[in-house]
Amino acid sequence: MTTIPISWYLAVAAVLFTIGAVTVFVKRNALVMLLGIELMLNAANLTAVTFSSYFRELAGQILVFFVMVVAAAEAAVGLAIIVLLFRHRETLNVDEAQLLKL
Amino acid sequence: MESLGINYRAIGPELVLTVTGVLVMLLEAFSPGKKVRDGILAAAGIVLAGVAALALWEEGPVTAFSRMVIVDGFRVFFTLVILLGTLLTIFVSWGFLDEERIPPGEYFALLLFGAVGMTLLVAGNDLMILFLALETITIATYVLAGYRREDLRSTESALKYFLLGAFSSAFLLYGIALLYGATRTTNLAEMARVVSGPLGQAEIVLLMAGAAMLLIGFGFKVTTVPFHVWTPDVYEGAPTPVTAFLSTAPKAAGFAAFLRVFSLTFPPLGIESAADQLASHWVAAVTAMSILSMTFGNFIAIAQTNIKRMLAYSSIAHAGYVLIGVLARDWAAVAFYMLVYTIMNLGCFAIVALWARRGDERVLIAEYAGLGFRQPLLSFPLAIFLVSLAGFPGTAGFVAKFWLFKSAWGAGFPELVIIGVLMTVVSVYYYLYVVIVMFFREPKEEVPRVPLSRAFVAAMVVALVGVFYLGLLPTRVFAVLNTAQNLLAIGQR
Repeated sequence: MTTIPISWYLAVAAVLFTIGAVTVFVKRNALVMLLGIELMLNAANLTAVTFSSYFRELAGQILVFFVMVVAAAEAAVGLAIIVLLFRHRETLNVDEAQLLKL
Repeated sequence: MESLGINYRAIGPELVLTVTGVLVMLLEAFSPGKKVRDGILAAAGIVLAGVAALALWEEGPVTAFSRMVIVDGFRVFFTLVILLGTLLTIFVSWGFLDEERIPPGEYFALLLFGAVGMTLLVAGNDLMILFLALETITIATYVLAGYRREDLRSTESALKYFLLGAFSSAFLLYGIALLYGATRTTNLAEMARVVSGPLGQAEIVLLMAGAAMLLIGFGFKVTTVPFHVWTPDVYEGAPTPVTAFLSTAPKAAGFAAFLRVFSLTFPPLGIESAADQLASHWVAAVTAMSILSMTFGNFIAIAQTNIKRMLAYSSIAHAGYVLIGVLARDWAAVAFYMLVYTIMNLGCFAIVALWARRGDERVLIAEYAGLGFRQPLLSFPLAIFLVSLAGFPGTAGFVAKFWLFKSAWGAGFPELVIIGVLMTVVSVYYYLYVVIVMFFREPKEEVPRVPLSRAFVAAMVVALVGVFYLGLLPTRVFAVLNTAQNLLAIGQR
């Protein structure tokens, strides 16, 4: 049985990260942007886990546990903000959030 | 097996702040709305944390908790700057909490939790801690930015801050993962050892990519061009006392982490090594960021009509100056600059917050007309802080810039120093413009008198004393910082 080379995992992670980043750039819906950010975080997690298993060392996996907790906390706060904006605006489109000019 | 190195003294300031934060939050839950009690408790916690930090001053560079946390002069000084910024923010928020009818306990608890993140960021000796601390800061400050819930501007500001903050955190995290791949460790001291030798081709690629991602992440956090787009919007929309906080303490912590990672872990060694290969690239990138921040920040600030936006661009410009210090790898100069910047910027925002009144209504520079001689207790301090931000001799702003530029000149960045000085001259225009409006423009309508609270007066006294003490007699602080710098340099060898 041949094992999958490490570069494949890294490539998948890089692709996921890019998809996430592009999502944040092109989508204008706050929820979908949050989704893109989560994708980026998970791509980073995948990279860390890959190296961790490749090195036979635990630091990367511990990092991932922390990141999962942080991402959950971040999503909680982020969703609260998004709900608050929806109550004011009745839309999730960030382009309409332009009281403050960009 | 390596010992765990559990040492509660080493995280004393963080422990005190956490306990105080939880206590304030619980008190708010059981008997809500007692601002004076919560405020005094929070302030006492900060002072106690300051004492705990000072107690670490004598300790040389030592690590604790499996080398996750480091105790050195660098950390202690930045911790004190952060604590000072948080304490002043509590004073600045005093009147605002009454006017907006905001539950004070939660607000103070969030400030304290933010401060925990910042002090931990400064103490972090491991990329894992740096990431966790950064997230602790940002999650607390997302909520603070949206604290005026009824105001759409505040909510929008929180949303923008959240989306761009989380976006930049993802970059930071990916950078950490790649650096881990390149060096097999997340510990900064270990990483510095690994990169001081040569690395394989693949590792070099990972190292470069990881450092670039980290640079983007930090660039966002310390508001440098081209990663600054969120700054003016967030600073304008957030409640003014929160803006005051955002522009000072988290920035000081961000620069500390920036220094710790780039200046101390990846220094140009001058010998054939991975660190040297990397350094040539990050130095070029940070040079570009510094020049862009100084020029964009200062020129766009001129065009602003809203004082909060103007101070936001000024904050970007100051980040550009500080990056010169990062390049010169003189952390003491950066620490001193952040101390001075924290004092003068919080002083500025204290007056802006008071003058803006309920709902942040009066924030246009034109609305400062006539303030000058009608309420001198507001206009004269504001003028002094603005002049200090511009860097006039006799004020702390001058000494801080002088030290920064001098050390950058010595470190071989004369072109950056020249640009920095030129941009300082440009900045004089928009800082003094506010002063001119205050003193020499006739107001369109009757200028109301704003009552001054005792907390505001306390903040003013601290900030004014700070500006003049550090501006006229900075030698003592210099001596303290130089000693710490020497100790750190010996410890690193």
